[in-house]
Amino acid sequence: MDTLHAHLEALFDDLELVIGWETGYEPLRPTPAFLRSREDLSRLVWNPLCAPNLSVYLPGILKDAKETGKKIGVCLKGCDSRSLGALVQEGFVERERLYVVGLPCPGTVDPEALAEARKSSAPVTHVSFRDGLLAITSRDGTEEIELERVLARRCRRCRHPNPLHADVILGDPVPPRRTEPSFSDVDAVEAMSLEERRAYWEEELSRCLRCYACRNACPLCVCRDRCLAESRTPKWTTQRDGVRDKFLFHMIHALHLAGRCTECGECERVCPVGIPVALFKEKMARIALELWDYQAGTDPAATPPLQTFDPSETGI
Amino acid sequence: MEQAFFLADAELQEALAGLSAQADVWVPASDARKPGLVRFRRFQPGLTVRLDARSLVSAKEVLFPRSETLLRFTKEKDLSVPAGHRIHLDDARTVRPVVVFGCRPCDARGFLTFDPVFTKGPYRDPYYSERREKTTFVSLVCRDADAACFCSAVGSGPADPEGSDAQLIPVDGGYVLRPVTERGAALLEPIGRTAAPEQIREAQDVLDQVGRETVGEGSLTTLAEAFRARFQDPAFWHAHIDKCLSCGLCTFVCPTCYCFTITDEARGLNGERIRSWDACMFPHFTLEASGHNPRPSKVERYRNRVGHKFSYFPARYGQVACCGCGRCVRHCPVSVDIRAVVRDLPAQEEAHA
Repeated sequence: MDTLHAHLEALFDDLELVIGWETGYEPLRPTPAFLRSREDLSRLVWNPLCAPNLSVYLPGILKDAKETGKKIGVCLKGCDSRSLGALVQEGFVERERLYVVGLPCPGTVDPEALAEARKSSAPVTHVSFRDGLLAITSRDGTEEIELERVLARRCRRCRHPNPLHADVILGDPVPPRRTEPSFSDVDAVEAMSLEERRAYWEEELSRCLRCYACRNACPLCVCRDRCLAESRTPKWTTQRDGVRDKFLFHMIHALHLAGRCTECGECERVCPVGIPVALFKEKMARIALELWDYQAGTDPAATPPLQTFDPSETGI
Repeated sequence: MEQAFFLADAELQEALAGLSAQADVWVPASDARKPGLVRFRRFQPGLTVRLDARSLVSAKEVLFPRSETLLRFTKEKDLSVPAGHRIHLDDARTVRPVVVFGCRPCDARGFLTFDPVFTKGPYRDPYYSERREKTTFVSLVCRDADAACFCSAVGSGPADPEGSDAQLIPVDGGYVLRPVTERGAALLEPIGRTAAPEQIREAQDVLDQVGRETVGEGSLTTLAEAFRARFQDPAFWHAHIDKCLSCGLCTFVCPTCYCFTITDEARGLNGERIRSWDACMFPHFTLEASGHNPRPSKVERYRNRVGHKFSYFPARYGQVACCGCGRCVRHCPVSVDIRAVVRDLPAQEEAHA
């Protein structure tokens, strides 16, 4: 933490602003912070509760930023940095306008798992993290909880804890939990019979509120205000509350991310009703990997496979 | 407490089954697949009722469904009329009595924002009003406030009876049921037995104790003027809202957000006109037919959300359009805190320059 503050302090004159995380309404909820003055930097926090992927803000903030010649600083975890890579690949972000602080990530917390692991339910007054242990303080005292016990699903399958495309990496590299891509959660759903699978998704998707948090938290959902989910002309989905329209939206969302999704898992993290919507995108990522040996966002110079045409490609 | 009934924990399912004979009974219940996810569901025997847990979505959907059919239409070919077809409309509806059982005081109070808009005119909404007239709210005195709750800051509180027809007060071995309105008394009489004097005393103690608690800091009810003064201060709104993702989560889980859209959904010659939840945080909400959008970004959209709840609505109806349940804060993907925004409205401008 001291390194992060000191590093940005020293550089701040050359930066327009820094996007990082600060403590939210409670220490368990770090929230994205847009720090525009040197004094603001003291609000920065970095720990396994810093879940939001900040690359989602980059296209918008770069579009609105004044041309001062100063760069925009942004803190990115490993998975966040892949999203940046994909945004650069597709021309939504000019890499040279950013100063990327890469933060090797020990994994992020699943709030539900943490609530279950805690013995106390009292409001949290302080959180710290060291050597794989979260220390959670409330009026009932301090509880130590192993991060490994309360990891988010996306982090259990993580093979990019160390940021790519960064100007500077602050902190020691983290050994990846996986060295090979892991699709065991997709496998589990695919092992179901067609009827079971249909019933499974109907049940899961029936809870969808159509709040579109999954869409808006996705750094690669670049249509923003032009999403077909709300378009009436042409009309793709109805406003009915049935599973049919919800299913259609989620299928379109997944297909639009084919060969583009960087597996940051934000769609699933933000879902208020706990639908494992990232599984759809993981399935797409697996196809991209098997078909083209392609992993979105890892090589900023690569052309995404569905945005090019190569007659020599086979197997399609 | 003059009149009160006692309901033992073990008798809860039976009592709810009894009530279900005459009404649709909605209770907070956990999801079979996701036990931690509590929502309002129509009671049926065997449902895991969770009076101990705060629900994700408010009880709003009971009176204001996510999507409801206003009328059905059928086109019939008829070449004798200039249009080439006739349209048959069917707007028949039946409204069953409803009981919302075990909601929190904030959930019940949320409807006090709906009422002046939907029932008092100049345009009375028949769909909401008819349901509202047949609904009884039994709210649970709340002892589960978390860091997102702020009911006291909007003039309510964890034991607030306003908006409720009866109150459930947790006591040893069950609940004391206290009628607040005549409708509440009529509902309770058949399901509980008269509470013993010591149970009434215990309930009164709980009521007094919870009633003294303050949930949330300060007051957010007198900031209508401060909002107007802040309206044209882009630095203020950017400082608070740059992180907002402009999704509709906060409005959908909110007990007082009542905005809707009306669409015709047809297939072939048949279809229906439906009313469904809309959200002021969505770009299409204010998109005009010309293509112009007076609220082009999340900054204007969120400013409107704050203005509606804490300035425009109070100016028109004399109360804030917020019940302090904290859902918008608790479930926001990036923890946008509307309390912080509203509290900062009167603060010095320099703080956000």
